[in-house]
Amino acid sequence: MKNFFYYSCKKSFFQLTCIVLAASVAGMISNYSRTAKLPLIGDWTLEARLKSESDKQKPISLAEAKKLYESGSGAVFIDARSLDDYNKGHIKGARSLPWLQAEQLVMDVINTISNDTPVITYCDGEACKLSKELALFLENLGFTNVRVLVNGWSVWKEAGLPVEKDMKK
Amino acid sequence: MNIVNPGKLSDMNPWIVYIAVSARLIMSGVFIYASYDKIMNPAAFAEAVFGYQILPPQLINITAIVLPWLELFLGILLLSGIWMPGAALGISFLMIAFIGALFYNLARGLDFYCGCFSATSTTGVSWWIILRDLIFLALSLYLVAYRFFLDRKKFSPLSNY
Repeated sequence: MKNFFYYSCKKSFFQLTCIVLAASVAGMISNYSRTAKLPLIGDWTLEARLKSESDKQKPISLAEAKKLYESGSGAVFIDARSLDDYNKGHIKGARSLPWLQAEQLVMDVINTISNDTPVITYCDGEACKLSKELALFLENLGFTNVRVLVNGWSVWKEAGLPVEKDMKK
Repeated sequence: MNIVNPGKLSDMNPWIVYIAVSARLIMSGVFIYASYDKIMNPAAFAEAVFGYQILPPQLINITAIVLPWLELFLGILLLSGIWMPGAALGISFLMIAFIGALFYNLARGLDFYCGCFSATSTTGVSWWIILRDLIFLALSLYLVAYRFFLDRKKFSPLSNY
């Protein structure tokens, strides 16, 4: 029986190695034959991720966002997370525009701001894409000064800047 | 008794075989279905892999390119019953890796997308998904155990359950 188990192990690991190799080759070939090829090693830095779809769009640093916030320049902060998350806590004065309902709700949120008002979108987490999507959406609506505060809620809170809760039902 | 001589099917509780065949077909369906959308949208799947915040940046695109094909090949092998020991081991390793990644991110409260069956879905991840994956893992491990310990026809050229 020992022999038998040993051969089973050997056989399965050999087969598995072949399967993985075959999948690698198939993956490479299919990727190579695609029009939009994925580079084998991608650039996942912050700048690259925010710039890939629109050259206009720039991330905003916390220091810069803080300056805009405190200068009374009329900069508008927009929270791209769900209303639930917004109600649990958000940047003080920020407006809620959950990305998933952005199309229905956008008019109520932006009808009081002009196109050149600085708009700063944020969500939470380094990898959160909501704020980026929302920023692109607002740019397409004609806003010319949209910035993304990456991982906004976390960095804002950690910096001890003004926050508030439960402003909307 | 010569152990190389294959045992008869009637020596074994038939349910052991029925469950193995069902597990094989279920898991092949799961893996083939899961691979399709990711193969079609590697860039979106790369975003999902990135969202897990586990792999180093150099490995994200490679994973997004190869993993869906690995799932497809494993699914096809399970469906056809070819190379069963290797395929059963492969899906078990993958299920363990998936559960580990989901569990780790849920435990640290990360906001991430599953990317399990669709590269572009934006539904969040809940503990139910881990439960579902644990069931898939149990089926995978059953197939491994079946091939390693239960399948007494192993040396018969016709045994490919």
